[in-house]
Amino acid sequence: MDCAICRNPMITLELDNVETDYCLACRGIWLDSGELEQLLGDSGKAQEVLRSFQPAEGVQEKLRRCPICGKKMEKVLVGPESSSVLLDRCRKGHGLWFDRGELEAVLQMGRFDSQKKIPSFLGKMFNKPETNPNPTPS
Amino acid sequence: MWEQIRINKRNSVLLLAGMGIFLLSLGFILGAAIGGPESGWVGLMVASAVWLILMLISFTNGDQILLASSRAVPVTPDVHPQLFNIVEEMTIAASLPKMPKIYIINDPAPNAFATGRSPETASVAVTAGLLARLNRDELQGVIAHEISHIVHRDILYVTLAGVMLGSIVLLSQVFLRGLYYSSIGGRRYSSEGRGRDGGAQAIFFILAIILSILAPLFAQLFYFALSRRREYLADAGAVRLTRYPEGLASALEKIANTSVSMQAANAVTAPMYIANPFRGRNAAHLFSTHPPIEERIRILRRMSQGVSYRDYEESYRAVTRRTGIIPPSAVKDEPIPPRSPSASTPQAPVPTDSARVNRQIGDLMRKVNGFVFLPCSCGITMKIPPNFPAPKAQCPRCGQIVSIRR
Repeated sequence: MDCAICRNPMITLELDNVETDYCLACRGIWLDSGELEQLLGDSGKAQEVLRSFQPAEGVQEKLRRCPICGKKMEKVLVGPESSSVLLDRCRKGHGLWFDRGELEAVLQMGRFDSQKKIPSFLGKMFNKPETNPNPTPS
Repeated sequence: MWEQIRINKRNSVLLLAGMGIFLLSLGFILGAAIGGPESGWVGLMVASAVWLILMLISFTNGDQILLASSRAVPVTPDVHPQLFNIVEEMTIAASLPKMPKIYIINDPAPNAFATGRSPETASVAVTAGLLARLNRDELQGVIAHEISHIVHRDILYVTLAGVMLGSIVLLSQVFLRGLYYSSIGGRRYSSEGRGRDGGAQAIFFILAIILSILAPLFAQLFYFALSRRREYLADAGAVRLTRYPEGLASALEKIANTSVSMQAANAVTAPMYIANPFRGRNAAHLFSTHPPIEERIRILRRMSQGVSYRDYEESYRAVTRRTGIIPPSAVKDEPIPPRSPSASTPQAPVPTDSARVNRQIGDLMRKVNGFVFLPCSCGITMKIPPNFPAPKAQCPRCGQIVSIRR
């Protein structure tokens, strides 16, 4: 599988039986639906999380292509309006793309999915603590 | 078992001869129909050439064709050491002259088959889904079943029949499509009298009909080839090799309880597998090639006293109320006691939840496809694809630089 940005081959990282794909060249992270399923326990929840983000309108950022199907992904807004992060989501539900630095932004935000499994897993995987000062109970 | 082996060898010769007669007469009729009675001999020569080529291909490369069409990949021992260990063990138990080549099929459904021309050139293919789900005893049962197919010479017949059925299906498709397109193109001229075009079309039409009638007939022949009896006999052979009926029984149970259909199987290759690769639609029809799996499990589970052919025969009689599954000479088998479950060798736990199984299948396929696994001391594992350009990788978690050894 090739990186959505620099087209270099991505490597797969595994921690505690959950995997994610990572580009060593540009530090992008690809979390596909199968990997979300490993993390959340079933495929229904994985698709639910993927669908829960609102598509962003009128964004200038360059469109990326899904590493799985090669189709253009859509921009989605994640998190509260004041500090939301712009991620890329495959329109066919193949997965979610984090550019370099977007993971840190998501971790600072504290709110991502209902059980917060995704940020805590990615934080652990890349050794970046969740820095949200006052986490909102879910 | 010798008469069964002899029957299989005889059937292989009959199949080749039957196929030859069919092709030669088809060539003669075609030649005569196109160019008059004296051209029949030309058609006959063309047909003999086709038959010769087909025979050469199925003898030299038949197993390769079947393996390739099932998307099976040859593997080295480091991909799955336990699988190699078991195949080696069963090769010795069955005193085969050579260890079969081992292939893994990238498919999440659990299944396996054996192919090849002779015990010297045999191959065993198992799916990634099978390896991820079975423990050592169960995998041993499945491998012993496939090795029994090799010992009984089922593989040559199945390989020949598979290649021939495949080419007949292909030919009938070509003619049916040719008929379809020529009927579209020819419609405009149909009012202007029926000349030589009409004659050629009529021949194609007849040919297409002949082939489409014969293709399912050959399919049936192939299904008879790997009939219920062969599967029962391979089960009996497997039990005798492993001396542990429960291994195969519980493997068959796991296979039966999986609801995934095999993507890599098709109607031609389906009868080769240890269990019917299709689920749901058409399953009832195709199940006719395999004995009901529940019945096979019941026979195996009833064999607590011994594991010889005679014991299988007795258990078979008790479960199915039919007689004579084992050839008479083999029933006079010496008594063999079953072995106790392998409690002395602790077994690696086999994952049961679907997420773990899927990850194991994914890991196996990565290994088959040449990924390098680099466990980092910080706890994560990096899986490096074969096309990764750099010789080293930096762990994104702890920053340690690990070199990639291939």
